[in-house]
Amino acid sequence: MKRPVNIVYGVEDTPPLGVTVFSGLQHVVLISIRLLFPLLIAREAGLPPERVLDVLSISMIVLAVATLLQAIPRGPVGSGYLCPPSFTSAYIAPSLLAAKTGGMPLVVGMTLFGGVIEAALSRVLRPLRPFFPPEIAGFVVIVVGVTLGSLGTRAVLGTATPEGASTLDLAVTTVSLAVMMALNVWTKGSLRVFCALIGMIAGYVAAAITGSLTVADLRPVEAAPLIHFPNLGHAGWSFDLALAIPFAVAALAACLRAMGDVTTCQKINDAEWTRPSMRSISGGVLANGISTTTAGLLGTIGVNTLTSSVGLSSATGVTSRRIAYVIGGMFLMLAFLPKAAALLAIMPQPVLGATLWFSACFVFINGLQIVTSRMLDARRTFVIGLSFTIGLAVDLYPSFFHSLRPTLQPFTGSSLVLGTVLALVLNAVFRLGVRRTQQLTLEPRELDPAKIEDFMEAQGAAWGARRDVIDRAKFNLTQSVETIVEGCAPQGPLEIEASFDEFNLDLRVSYAGAALQLPDKRPSNEEIIESEEGQRKLAGFMLRRYADRVKSSYTAGRSTILFHFDH
Amino acid sequence: MDLREDSVGDITVLEVKGRIDSTTAPTFGEKLTGTLATPDKRLVLDLRQLEYISSAGFRVLLLAAKRAEEAGSHFVLCSISGKVRQLFDLGGFLDLFSISASREEGIAALR
Repeated sequence: MKRPVNIVYGVEDTPPLGVTVFSGLQHVVLISIRLLFPLLIAREAGLPPERVLDVLSISMIVLAVATLLQAIPRGPVGSGYLCPPSFTSAYIAPSLLAAKTGGMPLVVGMTLFGGVIEAALSRVLRPLRPFFPPEIAGFVVIVVGVTLGSLGTRAVLGTATPEGASTLDLAVTTVSLAVMMALNVWTKGSLRVFCALIGMIAGYVAAAITGSLTVADLRPVEAAPLIHFPNLGHAGWSFDLALAIPFAVAALAACLRAMGDVTTCQKINDAEWTRPSMRSISGGVLANGISTTTAGLLGTIGVNTLTSSVGLSSATGVTSRRIAYVIGGMFLMLAFLPKAAALLAIMPQPVLGATLWFSACFVFINGLQIVTSRMLDARRTFVIGLSFTIGLAVDLYPSFFHSLRPTLQPFTGSSLVLGTVLALVLNAVFRLGVRRTQQLTLEPRELDPAKIEDFMEAQGAAWGARRDVIDRAKFNLTQSVETIVEGCAPQGPLEIEASFDEFNLDLRVSYAGAALQLPDKRPSNEEIIESEEGQRKLAGFMLRRYADRVKSSYTAGRSTILFHFDH
Repeated sequence: MDLREDSVGDITVLEVKGRIDSTTAPTFGEKLTGTLATPDKRLVLDLRQLEYISSAGFRVLLLAAKRAEEAGSHFVLCSISGKVRQLFDLGGFLDLFSISASREEGIAALR
């Protein structure tokens, strides 16, 4: 793992105490906004105010547990990254349904079920790896970024209120976003590291000046007690088979988002990132599943990794795992201090919008980079392009998707779920007919380098291989064929075989004729100048160096060269 | 492979486009060594549009360097980037030749 230049404190680093505490606070503010979700469900379930307060405290205990579980670097549980979870919109729709039909016992019972489903999904991710190629992981990250940006836009435009956003609200967004971006782009050190927190504070001040944040908004803070010990006993759990599908789909959506978030964490922490690590992804999904199960057991709604927090880490360059410990500690304290927690949850909509936009930029670009790290042929282009277009239609034309049959609704409820399900299905369909091994026959007298390069180019795109590895393979194939034809007097055609899996690219060149020399020592300049034999030794030396492994053999008049490239 | 020759004052700029392999290397070598055989000749070899160079191409460059030394000529390579630069590195040629980042820098280096 190589730390990228824009990361100030990487996942294994120990930042100074001040940086750790204030970075933790930035995340806590961002995560706390979602505390509105369990409050909304608890009220919908008809809980009395003192029980609502218990749900708030329990929710913060769950956030603490979830953040710490996610940061565990070893063993089956946890992604090992600073990837804090929060309450997820994926569980909101089914939880609202459960709250209306069966009250809080049904909400927590079904949440427990969703958590178990997600934990189970985490165990089958590894064998399903070929169905989750890197470009689909990147696609999920892009859609997550777009969704985040879209949520930010809703907050900025004030679509939740009938009157919408005022000019002054837009001014608050502009101030908050401008401060975040300016500090991120033009400053270094603490100012850059805390750019989001400073931008939020600037937004709060602007909101207070313009009237976006009023005394009335502070009433929940005023009403909350200073200290509260939550009552962990609740009315029990119930289960409704009719809600099993919506909760299972929510678990799948949470699983997909966690996969995208953990993939982003891997990428932002490693300049040499090439593919998703399934250990850390399945560990992250399992941590999510256990956290949601814990939420159901203790009496609140499901959680999931918070994409905006991952975006914040990327933006500020602080991804140290130690920040997760501080976040966990802060939420444990806040669980007993409802007044402070309520203060965090009243972020004005224009400031929330600015923060979401700010985080979305980094998530979106990371997704694009993951997708474009691979060569894409027509099949892969359709998988990504069509899934993105149709997935996005959910946000653009929601009324159409709401009018579809109720049985389809779980799959068409969000751009992330519809887009990802489509991408997975299309990828599975397009895998049909893609051969992992391909052959090419070349006649020495009709040697055409373009034909060799086109062969590798087409195969690289069909396999979704890395561009740099295919470029090396193209050189080795062209240079070896050229040298064999010039110096090994092949009798008959050259047989070429290229085979690929996600970790290996192997080329086999075989022909009837003398073996090609692959020296491990470079010939001297004099040797190269004096004879064509020296030139061929140079070719062999370069071929040996460019491949990760080479093997040359000669049996019964037939030579075979094997080039292996790690992928 | 296409070769294009320009002059900037008394400096010759030879631009190579396409591939230098065993098929095209003889033509390239003839042009390059022919130009450098003139005593005190100064030449910039612009490789900005070079897509591929094989061992045959590197041999031509070494031969050209030898001819230039014999004739008292000078040449620099310029604008080597990406994949081609990797091949120069692979064959151990980055330190063997004078290499400039751009055509302008190459011309300045020969003045």
